[in-house]
Amino acid sequence: MTIGKDKIDEAVRLLRDAQETRTPCAPLRERLLPVGDVASAYAVQRAMTQDAVAAGRRIVGAKIGLTNPAVQRQLGVDQPDFGVLFADMAAWDGAEVDVTRILQPKVEAEVAFVLGGDLPHQQVTVADVIRATDHLLPAIEIVGSRIANWDISIVDTVADNASSAMFVLGNRPVPLPSVDLRLCGMVLEHEGEPVSVGAGAACLGNPLHAVAWLAETMAQAGTPLRTGDVILSGALGPMVPVTPGAAYEARISGLGSVRTRFTP
Amino acid sequence: MSIETMAALLDDAATGAKAIPQLTLGHELDVDGAYAVQEALIARRLDRGQRLVGIKMGLTSRAKMAQVGVHEVIWGRLTDAMRVPDGGRLALDGFIHPRIEPEVAFLLGEGGIAAVAPALEIIDSRYADFQFTHPDVVADNTSGAAFVIGAWQPVPAGLDNLGVLLEVDGKVVQAGSTAAILGDPRRALDEGRALTARYGVALEPGWIFLAGAATAAVPLTPGAHVRATVEGLGTTSVVAS
Repeated sequence: MTIGKDKIDEAVRLLRDAQETRTPCAPLRERLLPVGDVASAYAVQRAMTQDAVAAGRRIVGAKIGLTNPAVQRQLGVDQPDFGVLFADMAAWDGAEVDVTRILQPKVEAEVAFVLGGDLPHQQVTVADVIRATDHLLPAIEIVGSRIANWDISIVDTVADNASSAMFVLGNRPVPLPSVDLRLCGMVLEHEGEPVSVGAGAACLGNPLHAVAWLAETMAQAGTPLRTGDVILSGALGPMVPVTPGAAYEARISGLGSVRTRFTP
Repeated sequence: MSIETMAALLDDAATGAKAIPQLTLGHELDVDGAYAVQEALIARRLDRGQRLVGIKMGLTSRAKMAQVGVHEVIWGRLTDAMRVPDGGRLALDGFIHPRIEPEVAFLLGEGGIAAVAPALEIIDSRYADFQFTHPDVVADNTSGAAFVIGAWQPVPAGLDNLGVLLEVDGKVVQAGSTAAILGDPRRALDEGRALTARYGVALEPGWIFLAGAATAAVPLTPGAHVRATVEGLGTTSVVAS
């Protein structure tokens, strides 16, 4: 049993207004979403997605969040979450991003999977994911939160499309066998200075595990992952608050690099 | 208090596994003085028959600087008695509050780096509560206590972003990158050469050079099986008892 349509509509309105007025809103938990009612939070996310699709926005894939055990503990959950990626959230490698478009932006480095096959099953193995992966790309995810001061619980971030905002994909595809996804080093630089480091294992032990989790979850929800989908598999190190005017570069061992910069 | 007296205090604290108050709490000690204490401390060990086998860098990462509140790269000395064989056992009763961290080690050759290996460093501040100032930690041989070196490997083309995992009992407890070591561990060698030269020490071929930690340190407890893995370099491990 999820919350009623009136509460879903109200949550959608608050999140949309926050984005349109560039003013973060108070947390949705308690007043609209019962604490821990993740199913209702996804109902809010689905309602927003339906509105977006109705407005002509194109779904291109999904992002996985909360893939780090420390972050899961902070939010009191024991599994990741996901959000929807739309084509208009993509920025080009190295292109300037309008920082005012994103509420409370932060950046993190991730491995992006591009699927060359469907993942229709409700039970998925890593072998299924490997077979369905066409190639990998290095990625920067620019996250944001419509919730004031990033004061999020699990239901706040799930309703808010997993705190997604934009993403930047590298443009040199790399075949999966050429990367050690568990051991690959990651460094995220701010103006040439390392500000976040990590490795593949920081993402659920291996980004492949995160994608397998997503594939199962999406198939169970009746919207399985399909050929061509782009999947941001989760951060390889701590996220970093964005400084307006600054440039960021992510390098992932075996995957190359990707850049973004922000307007002052 | 004389340099010799301070060195003796630290030496006794280490051999007796008993923490002491920070030297700077009651005495004037600057960084140059602290390196003199460290030299005197190591001289006592060499007098007992230990051999100098290399040097180690400390505070080469932002995470580490933040963890201990000192914001400058430091260096210490390694003796043969501090080395634990790869895969070997380390008795913790000789330590005060040991922590362990994954590192990259260089074997120094005539012209630079001859070989590279994954490494583990056990640090153990001789000061109460692992609290110290910059001169304190320098005098205390930069908290150096023990180290483990994996099999030496040829120097890879790039060392600047190798993934590093620290596992305790098979569970990944830290994931990082060699980029955490001054952006590239080779920079730690340049820094190390310059810093040691300031105190009249020249790096010698055959020495081991511990470039610094790639992640934050974690407490080391009896019974722990600890393994460091560095992308492309393999693993090294130790069992605490």
